[in-house]
Amino acid sequence: MSNNKFKVLIIEDEANICSFIQTLLETNGYQALVAQTCVMGMTMFISYNPDLVILDLGLPDRDGLDAIRSIRQKYLTPIIVLSARTTEQDKIEALDLGANDYITKPFGTGELLARVRAALRVNRYGGGSLPGGVFSAQGLTINYERRKVFVDGQEVRLTQTEYNIVAFLSEHAGRVMTYAAIVRAIWGDTDASSTKKLQVNMANIRKKLGSRPGSNTYILNELGVGYRMIEEDAKPLEPAEETK
Amino acid sequence: MKQMLRKKDVWVLLAALIGAFACVTLIQFISGRIDGVASMVFLLAVFFVSMYTDGYWWGVAGSVISVLAVNFAFRTPYFAFNFTIPENIFSGVVMLVVSFMTSTLTTRIKKQEQLRMESETEKMRANLLRAVSHDLRTPLTSIYGACSTVIDNYDSLGREQKIKLLSEACADAQWLNRMVENLLSVTRIDADGVAIQKTPTVLEELVDTVLVRFQKLHPGVPVEVKLPDDFIVIPMDSMLIQQVLTNLLENAVLHAKGMTCLTLRVFTLGQRAVFEVIDNGCGIPKERLKTLFTGTTLTQDTSSGGKHGMGIGLSVCAAIIKAHGGEIKAESTPGEGTTIRFWLETEEVDTEETEDEQ
Repeated sequence: MSNNKFKVLIIEDEANICSFIQTLLETNGYQALVAQTCVMGMTMFISYNPDLVILDLGLPDRDGLDAIRSIRQKYLTPIIVLSARTTEQDKIEALDLGANDYITKPFGTGELLARVRAALRVNRYGGGSLPGGVFSAQGLTINYERRKVFVDGQEVRLTQTEYNIVAFLSEHAGRVMTYAAIVRAIWGDTDASSTKKLQVNMANIRKKLGSRPGSNTYILNELGVGYRMIEEDAKPLEPAEETK
Repeated sequence: MKQMLRKKDVWVLLAALIGAFACVTLIQFISGRIDGVASMVFLLAVFFVSMYTDGYWWGVAGSVISVLAVNFAFRTPYFAFNFTIPENIFSGVVMLVVSFMTSTLTTRIKKQEQLRMESETEKMRANLLRAVSHDLRTPLTSIYGACSTVIDNYDSLGREQKIKLLSEACADAQWLNRMVENLLSVTRIDADGVAIQKTPTVLEELVDTVLVRFQKLHPGVPVEVKLPDDFIVIPMDSMLIQQVLTNLLENAVLHAKGMTCLTLRVFTLGQRAVFEVIDNGCGIPKERLKTLFTGTTLTQDTSSGGKHGMGIGLSVCAAIIKAHGGEIKAESTPGEGTTIRFWLETEEVDTEETEDEQ
């Protein structure tokens, strides 16, 4: 047993779902711990101090949202929420309480691994302090020092606000950012029309980046929740595990 | 809602009584005598009040007021109450009885109407349930079969065979999931006509989300997209409208045989955003077009058409669009292709919010 593996705690009451997530994580080089109830999950969280928590919201003993709340009182451990297809509101609530990401059931294995990778990557708050100061993902390059954005080597002329949005999303690449979180980061405060302001800006950004609906999208839509920048291609890309 | 109804009822009561009063006064003005006519006219007013209001009490109130009004204004002695004359009391009682009976009748009719509506939705649900359970069993059988085959014959099966069986199970599970999502959408609309939760959604983002998902499931089917250049916001339950667009695109893939071109087109027409899913496949026979969205042909379809029952997806679409206050229609020429078109109400956008600081 090597000890330098990332420890992932899975809190989920469905034994079958646990079992396949555990197998998937273990075959991909993670150490997986399983808890079937919220109470057990919290105990294991404290004794094992995992690097990541995968949490189901519909647990038998307590509301999963409570678990997020109590973890966030002391720890910054990334949390990925597993949600059954309910409303956008549930997802937003979990994210607002401090969950880092969510994934909707049923999900593909590739999708789950991508989320795990993104959540485990060190938080890079305060963009610009990146090594080299460059973000690149599938032809999109952001130079934080010069505050410039390039698509396939061509410079894209963004306004201040548009650049700030793109930079903010790239600092959290691979993770969903809620409308409220983006608005807070860009404009500081929120009011009724701020989501629309963000959406209008996003429409311009998409146009400038040359994104067309369904193709060439660097910034993915999480309809009703927020936006997600595609993952940075740091490691050699794994073959996309899209099940057909 | 209840408040609104009350207000409406008050207006009906007032309008009927004032109308009757004006009518009687006019007759009195023309002919000079009204003794016989007054009661009749007010009786008519009471009849109207009972018919167009909810419950007994408006009718009863109307008749009491009518009795008093007739007694006061149109009976000797004029402009004074007089209940000593048996004739006046008698006409009062008649009015009360008429109003009571009319109210009873109208209430009963309204109740029957409601019952009929309920049984219709019930019938539609039963249809849906029958078709769905049939449709669910087929993929389940295949998943169960494939998985147990792999488990029981793990060593004797070749790697290729195992992967083939498991990918079939995988595909069927995904199909099952889409079916369940349709069912969830139906429960989300709610049969009681509770208004759906609409949030302003950017058209481009909606189409993008749908296409990303669609291309994951059908990587070999290109979709031509034609969107307006403007920034368009549509209030909707985005999850449900995604379901509609996905269903329509998938129907084209599954049923439009010989299709070479699939187009998703959106344009604005005044306050409406019109969505079109156009294929150039085999088309739909005329007699099927009429019942396409009603789900009434469900049972025959699924028994003959294998596991991909088309009717469920479309009746779900129709229910979703209806709940949004829009309309959905199908046009088809056999041999040339099908166009499914629906519209939704858009929201006014003031684009001056875009800031340009540079």
